[in-house]
Amino acid sequence: MLNFKEIKEIIKLIDDSSIDEFTYESEGAKVQLKKTAARANQHVVYNNASEIQALPKQPAAESLEQPKKEVHLPKEESEQKTENLHKITSPMVGTFYAAPNPDADPYVTIGSKVKENTVVCIVEAMKLFNEIEAEVKGEIVDILVENGQLVEYGQPLFLVKPE
Amino acid sequence: MQSEIRRKLLAAFSEADGGYVSGQKISELLGCSRTAVWKHIEELRKEGFVLEAVRRKGYRIVKTPEKITANEIQLGLQTDFIGQNIVYYDTVDSTQKIAHELSQKGAEEGTLVVADEQTGGRGRMARVWYSPKGTGIWMSIILRPNIPLQKTPQLTLLTAVALVEGIEEATGLSPTIKWPNDILINGKKAVGILTELEAEADQVHSVIIGIGINVNQQIDEFPEAIRNTATSIAIEKGEKIHRALIIQKFLERFEKWYTTYLEHGFKPIKLLWESYSISLNKTIHARTLSGTVVGKALGINEEGALLIETSEGKIEKVYSADIDIK
Repeated sequence: MLNFKEIKEIIKLIDDSSIDEFTYESEGAKVQLKKTAARANQHVVYNNASEIQALPKQPAAESLEQPKKEVHLPKEESEQKTENLHKITSPMVGTFYAAPNPDADPYVTIGSKVKENTVVCIVEAMKLFNEIEAEVKGEIVDILVENGQLVEYGQPLFLVKPE
Repeated sequence: MQSEIRRKLLAAFSEADGGYVSGQKISELLGCSRTAVWKHIEELRKEGFVLEAVRRKGYRIVKTPEKITANEIQLGLQTDFIGQNIVYYDTVDSTQKIAHELSQKGAEEGTLVVADEQTGGRGRMARVWYSPKGTGIWMSIILRPNIPLQKTPQLTLLTAVALVEGIEEATGLSPTIKWPNDILINGKKAVGILTELEAEADQVHSVIIGIGINVNQQIDEFPEAIRNTATSIAIEKGEKIHRALIIQKFLERFEKWYTTYLEHGFKPIKLLWESYSISLNKTIHARTLSGTVVGKALGINEEGALLIETSEGKIEKVYSADIDIK
């Protein structure tokens, strides 16, 4: 079955294409993507009860009550611990910069306290610079990417423990 | 800021396109007496405009000063919204900073911040952009496009297309684009563009495009370190050019392609960009923070990223790099 990242990538590809509808079936599970309005608006629907039952640690009762539900993706073990952490994700494809310039200190390091409007990094593409803000008040507990790395749309960059 | 009266007066002369505008017409347009008209004309003269006054015909602008205040830029400017609001400074730290402040205060789309001199002009990686007094165009445009955030980098390529065409129209030179948006004339850099985004999560508030154009510098006016790689329009043209004319032609091309882009997307812009590109089908070195990619530049993709085919036949997508053409 497709993982979360793959589904995100597919959504992006469809978004940029003239495809209106996309269906993917594998091992009895089905992913259906549909553009509803003119401004490409996708709904991701897992419409197969057996797939939902197969999800780890998913109470059976819940899956029976909700045979159709919005994106509910399998959680990996490592993500269990990060459940309560806020993920700062990249809003665009581009290069991740931890500091405002090569000689400067990074905007934040692990342990830094941030507020909603604290700049945590820059993502750049085609010489367009986007200063990313934390959007939550809390503490940076992990930095998931390297300085200079290419990041994808929606890719998690930081984990923040909200206050 | 320019007064509403001045804006109307210059609009009347723009419409006349070098011809006469009668005192009667001006007094009607401005809603003031003939004596007041004379006062406004005198003010223009004090600012360096040369005006001819002929009995029964009216006033005609013979010469505009080599300045880039709102007066000179708006006289003859054929746009609907790009550059209709101009904020001019004699000297400023960085037009980009001012544009951010204005944007946060709600400045309208198309607002242009322009300065005769920048003391803190900067480029990519906080590199200094040399912007001395009276010889170049240092400006920033505020846009408020209703597009998904991840598409905003395309606007930097669109800006390059508009600059190539604007400079060509104003000077007759044929500039080229080096990915993503450096403008070269005869292989040397004459224009740099740096764009910044104001956004909250996925929501775009504004896109601020900073542009530096070397116009009337002579070669010995450049710092020695960049003399082999930088140039100005005057050096390549062999004569000085009115900066205001270049700004006008650029703003007109920019409005045209920006409007087209909002309606029809990136495709038409991509075609133009590729037709002005200097690097396509050449071997290039793309230096990135994580290493150098060497290969043949194939073109750009739908996002504006550079596609490079390496010697192993692999196609690499590049989003950020310094490009050397071999």
